[in-house]
Amino acid sequence: MKTIYEGLFSKNPVFGLLLGLVPAVAITYSAYNGLVLGITTGIILVVAVFISSLLKSVVPKGTRPVLHVGVLTILTVIAHSLLLQQNPKVVADLGIFLPLIVVNSFVLYNLDQDQAMKDAVLSAVGNSLGFVLALVVIGVIREFLSFGTVFGTRLLESTLPPLALAGTVPGGMVIVGLLLALYNKITGQGGELHE
Amino acid sequence: MNNGLNILAQGVVTNNIILLQGLGLYALTRYTRDVKTAVKSGVTMICAMLTAALVVWAFQGAVIDSLSVEIGFYLLVGTLSALAWQNILGFDGSLEKGLVDSALVGLLLIMGRDGIAGPTTVGFALSAGLGYLLVLIVMATLRKRLELAPIPKPLRGAPIVLITAGLLAIALMGFRL
Repeated sequence: MKTIYEGLFSKNPVFGLLLGLVPAVAITYSAYNGLVLGITTGIILVVAVFISSLLKSVVPKGTRPVLHVGVLTILTVIAHSLLLQQNPKVVADLGIFLPLIVVNSFVLYNLDQDQAMKDAVLSAVGNSLGFVLALVVIGVIREFLSFGTVFGTRLLESTLPPLALAGTVPGGMVIVGLLLALYNKITGQGGELHE
Repeated sequence: MNNGLNILAQGVVTNNIILLQGLGLYALTRYTRDVKTAVKSGVTMICAMLTAALVVWAFQGAVIDSLSVEIGFYLLVGTLSALAWQNILGFDGSLEKGLVDSALVGLLLIMGRDGIAGPTTVGFALSAGLGYLLVLIVMATLRKRLELAPIPKPLRGAPIVLITAGLLAIALMGFRL
């Protein structure tokens, strides 16, 4: 339970550890995109951690990065094919950011941890939930600001034009930066990067 | 000649891989503490991008009729090229702390998506790499200045780096008009 709480809040991958910033900035102009990419990344991570823990004893430490890249590439290509069959529109919306799960720093960080299998899988589940939460929160804020909708549902009827910049990459950087500052204020962190 | 200048301008300014494509943000937040680290990271990335582009160019004749296989090919070429160069140029050997980030693989995926072929592949990679290096150096220099500024504590570190990068990116967006 503590691991899940840490992944969700106190050591949230995006806001606490500054990992996975690329999807957090690039595809969260829509909350649905954030949710789909977050869940896909989480499933790939948990399966990759499980496979990597199984193979850890037979693969020398120096060659583990290559093993991780291989496992992640296979899992991502499978996920891409499955999603393409189920929901081609979301695959088109996510574009290059779906295959980029392989080099997502959040995934690589979790795979690099030297833990027993049970702890590693639990930690991956907690961190994945935190990652999904962060992408959805950022997605809801950006989608509302840029289109006036949340998960495609219009919330406010206004004659004011929406803040289109919030839906672009530069706007995403500013909004994620401000959310990081808010997280730092709430948790009492801040001042330097947490590496 | 004009085509070359166009590719260079796109890579460095109007389609900058970090500021306008949103790739390579790990390097933007981690490798901009000082100019020396930024230059080392940028040069390593240029080498890795050029190597990956040459490999992609060499294999462009091979018939890849499956989208999944093509994506898998870009992922493997990108990550292995970054791994090789970070070891050659003395970066941390681990995946997470190295240069295996989204900029290189993202560049290959963009080139595949946009149908970039032939020698243009190398020019595209070089211009994207120069854009990457330029942004890291500019951000490292800005961070030195920001250290002297009275920034509220919650905004220090990554938040102010991202907000500054966002404002720089908005300025670059002006060149698209």
